[in-house]
Amino acid sequence: MGSEVTFRIKRFDGEKSYWQTFKVPVYRGMTVLEGLYYIKENYDGTLAFRASCRMSVCGSCAIKINGKPRLACETQILSLGSSNIDIEPLDNFKVIKDLITDFEGFFKKHEHVKPYIIRKDDNYENPTEILQTPEQLYAYYDFTLCIKCGACYSVCPAAAREDYLGPAAITAAYRFNADSRDGGSEIRYALVCGDNGVWRCHFAAECSEVCPKQIDPAKAVQKMRVKAALHTIKSIFGW
Amino acid sequence: MSWTNWFRISGKSLFGIAFSLHRLTGVVLAIYLCMHLTYLTSLKFGKEFYESLIKTTVSPTFLVFDILLILAGVYHGVNGLRLILHEFGLAYESRRTLLYAAFVLTLVLWFVASYQMYRFVMGV
Amino acid sequence: MEEMHTRRVLEPIAWILQLISGIFLTVLVTFHFYVTHFVEHNAMEYDKVIGRFTDPAYQVMYVLLLLFVSFHAFNGLRAIILDTNFGAKHARAVNTATFLLFFAVFGYGLVLLFSF
Repeated sequence: MGSEVTFRIKRFDGEKSYWQTFKVPVYRGMTVLEGLYYIKENYDGTLAFRASCRMSVCGSCAIKINGKPRLACETQILSLGSSNIDIEPLDNFKVIKDLITDFEGFFKKHEHVKPYIIRKDDNYENPTEILQTPEQLYAYYDFTLCIKCGACYSVCPAAAREDYLGPAAITAAYRFNADSRDGGSEIRYALVCGDNGVWRCHFAAECSEVCPKQIDPAKAVQKMRVKAALHTIKSIFGW
Repeated sequence: MSWTNWFRISGKSLFGIAFSLHRLTGVVLAIYLCMHLTYLTSLKFGKEFYESLIKTTVSPTFLVFDILLILAGVYHGVNGLRLILHEFGLAYESRRTLLYAAFVLTLVLWFVASYQMYRFVMGV
Repeated sequence: MEEMHTRRVLEPIAWILQLISGIFLTVLVTFHFYVTHFVEHNAMEYDKVIGRFTDPAYQVMYVLLLLFVSFHAFNGLRAIILDTNFGAKHARAVNTATFLLFFAVFGYGLVLLFSF
C-alpha cells in the first residue's frame, strides 16, 4: 500500500497531440484500466478511452501500454515492472480523441470477408441439424476466439498500406473456410485474393505476439494464403 | 515512409525485428546484384583492367565491406528458409525455436564465410 | 475482365516462385561463393573467370543463378513497394516496372555471360 506510479498519456484534442502526466496510487492487482478510471474521476474528466466488460471479452480497451498493444482491463500495473506507464492509442488507426481510435475501417474489412456460414441448403422453415465432430471443430476453433480488439492490426507492418485487410479479417475468413458447416470457401478466396489481401503478409508474425486471446492470426493468414494460391492456380488450369 | 520503420526497434518483438532485417538485407542485396553485374562488365575491357579492379577490391580495406555484405547475404538466406517453412504452413508451433536457431545459424555461417574471405585476402 | 484475370494469376504464381527461387538461391549462391573462395586461391584471376564462363556446366549454373536471383530481387522489391499506399494506387505501374527491370537485368547478365 502507499505506492505510486506515473501515467504518461498521449492525448489528442482534435488538433494537436501532447503528453500529460498523472500520479496514480497503486495496489496489488490494480489494472491499467482502473488507473485510467482513477485519472478520469480524480484528475481530468475529459480523458477519453473505450472500455466495457472489464474482463477481456469485449475487445474495447486495446491500447499501447509501454509500447506494446494490450487490453487495459487485463494488464496489471505492478506486473509491468516499471513506475512509468506510457499509454498511447493503437497505431495504424486514426485517432479521434485521446485513446479512442476510428474502428470503422477495421469493422468494414471484417464484414468484407462474409464472416458467417454460407450454405446452399438454407431452409428456415424446416431447419435440420448440422453435425460436426470434435476433430472438425478443432480445425477452426482457436480462430473463433477473436474479440476484434485491433491489437493485431496495429502491429502489422503491412497495415502501412491503409487498404490492407489485416490479420483479424483474414483470420475470420479462414475461420469460416475451415468450418465444415460452411460452403462459401470459393467466395472468400476471391475476397482475400486482391492486392490488399493475403499477398501483403510476409510473416512478421507480430500479430501473434500481441493477440490477447493468443489465437495466432499469423498461422491463419499463412494457411489461408496457401489454400487461396492453390485454389487460384487450380481454377486457372481448370483442374 | 514505411522503410524508416525497419530501423525502429521499440514496440517490436524479435519476430518483427527479424522481418525488418530481412527487408533491409534484401534491398542491400538487390543493390549489390546490380553493382556485381556492373563490376563484371569490366571483364569486357581486357585482362589488365579487370585485374587492376581485383587488386583494389580484393584487399584488406574492402574486406570490411565484404564481411558486412556476407552477413546480409547469410542472414537473408537463413531467415528466408525459416520464412519459407512457415509460409508453406509448416512448423508454426516451433516458430520461436526456429527464430533463435536462424540467428545462431546465421552467426555460425557468417564466421565461417568471413574467416575464409580473410584467408583469401591475406593470402594464407 | 482480362486485366483482372492476369493480375489474379500473377500474385499466387509470383508468391510461390519467390519461395521456390529462394530455396534454389540458398544452394546456388552458396555454391557460387564456394567456387570463388574455397576451391583454389586464384579463382578470381581473369583466365579462371573466363574459363568458368565458357564451361558449359558452369554456364548452366550461372544461367540458373541469374534467372532466380533477378526474379527474386525484383519480385521482392515489387512486394515492398506494393506494401505502401503509393503501391496501392499505382499497382499496375509498379508491376510493369519491376518486371521490366527483372527482364533487363537477367537479359544483361545473359549477354555478358555468353559474350566470351
